[in-house]
Amino acid sequence: MRIASMIILALMWVPASVRGQATASAESFGVSVSTVTVNQKTPSAVLPADGGTTQDQAGAVTVANLVTAQDVFAIVSGSSDDASDAVSNATLGSVSILGGLITADGVVAVATSTLGNSNADGSSLANLVVNGVELEDPAPNTRVDLAGVGYVVLNEQIPTDGGLTVNMIHVVLQQPTLTGLRTTGDIVVGSASSSVN
Amino acid sequence: MMSNLRSLAALTATVAVVVLASSCETRRNAVAPRMGGPLAHYGSFECTPLKITGGGRIDYPPGSADKNPPASHEYETFGAHVIASGQVDANGTCLADKGALEWVDHRPEMEIDGHPLNLHATAVTFAEKATDTDCSDGAAHWGGKLRVQNTGQDDLDFEVWDCDNGEPGAGHDGFAIRVDAIGYEVMCPDPDLPPAEPTCTLTGGNRQFHPTH
Repeated sequence: MRIASMIILALMWVPASVRGQATASAESFGVSVSTVTVNQKTPSAVLPADGGTTQDQAGAVTVANLVTAQDVFAIVSGSSDDASDAVSNATLGSVSILGGLITADGVVAVATSTLGNSNADGSSLANLVVNGVELEDPAPNTRVDLAGVGYVVLNEQIPTDGGLTVNMIHVVLQQPTLTGLRTTGDIVVGSASSSVN
Repeated sequence: MMSNLRSLAALTATVAVVVLASSCETRRNAVAPRMGGPLAHYGSFECTPLKITGGGRIDYPPGSADKNPPASHEYETFGAHVIASGQVDANGTCLADKGALEWVDHRPEMEIDGHPLNLHATAVTFAEKATDTDCSDGAAHWGGKLRVQNTGQDDLDFEVWDCDNGEPGAGHDGFAIRVDAIGYEVMCPDPDLPPAEPTCTLTGGNRQFHPTH
């Protein structure tokens, strides 16, 4: 019986690309810092190739003197088959970036994909303050300049191949040069990505 | 070459379906554990192969399709999946093959020592397809054991009601959870609240009912 089952399973196995099934992928993370001296992403969750649900979490996150965050969760779930789907979410409690230049006390990033459809429904920022100014429910891809630092993109939504990346707070660090500004790093807080293709 | 492979795929799939057909028969008499009272929906089940994946956000209370003000922190986020092959044990329980549940309740009133309530399934033991809901793409009642990550309380029974009501998931699909041992539930028993009580409507994310046969 066991041998028969194995034969049946072997007969059933056909590569997804041949079956015409769509492939789902998803990733979420709480904090990512990329500079010349710091390269860290935590906590993060990635959808396994065979689907399912995974999560990672951290009670507190501190990255150099750039970011502090409390109660950070990253969760992904989905599956690749005839009805592929991918959902990712990242949530954070209180957040402080660049010594309080940017603060928030509730960050939610949600990215959802099915074949041909992706959205950021469910994403939100609570009590967001940028450079001393409170910003309520910023529209997608709202850019605010940060003098002497660079700029921040709030509720950043980037279409990808078959999906979407949502970065609720994305700080681009810049330095002046003789010819303009040079990007020296990125800080991303609350990121969720999903795709089906 | 590709055409030949597709033909081979179709042939092998047909053979497999024929061979396995007898093991995929729906068992209408199977039941799963009941922990609560009667519901207007989710009262009729089949023990049949099923698979549901996804996650997202619920803004409970009230659990409607609208988000609460972000500053209220009145929301829950989660990821969950279940896979079942329609097998029934000696007690008549419709068994789950595997699954997972990660649940975070961000409501201030639910915090434990200043942190969000965090539930983590340690075992998914039963899953049955609901046949009396308004969920267009499929619905299930499933559950098992979980741990309260904040306190370490372990081996607690939980059950969820899961609803795929089309696309997108936000505003259409639903999910509800109950953990009797700690008196915890996120349930929306209002029959007028779409898609099917006791599920609460997703404000983000998606529940996806996958074809299995």
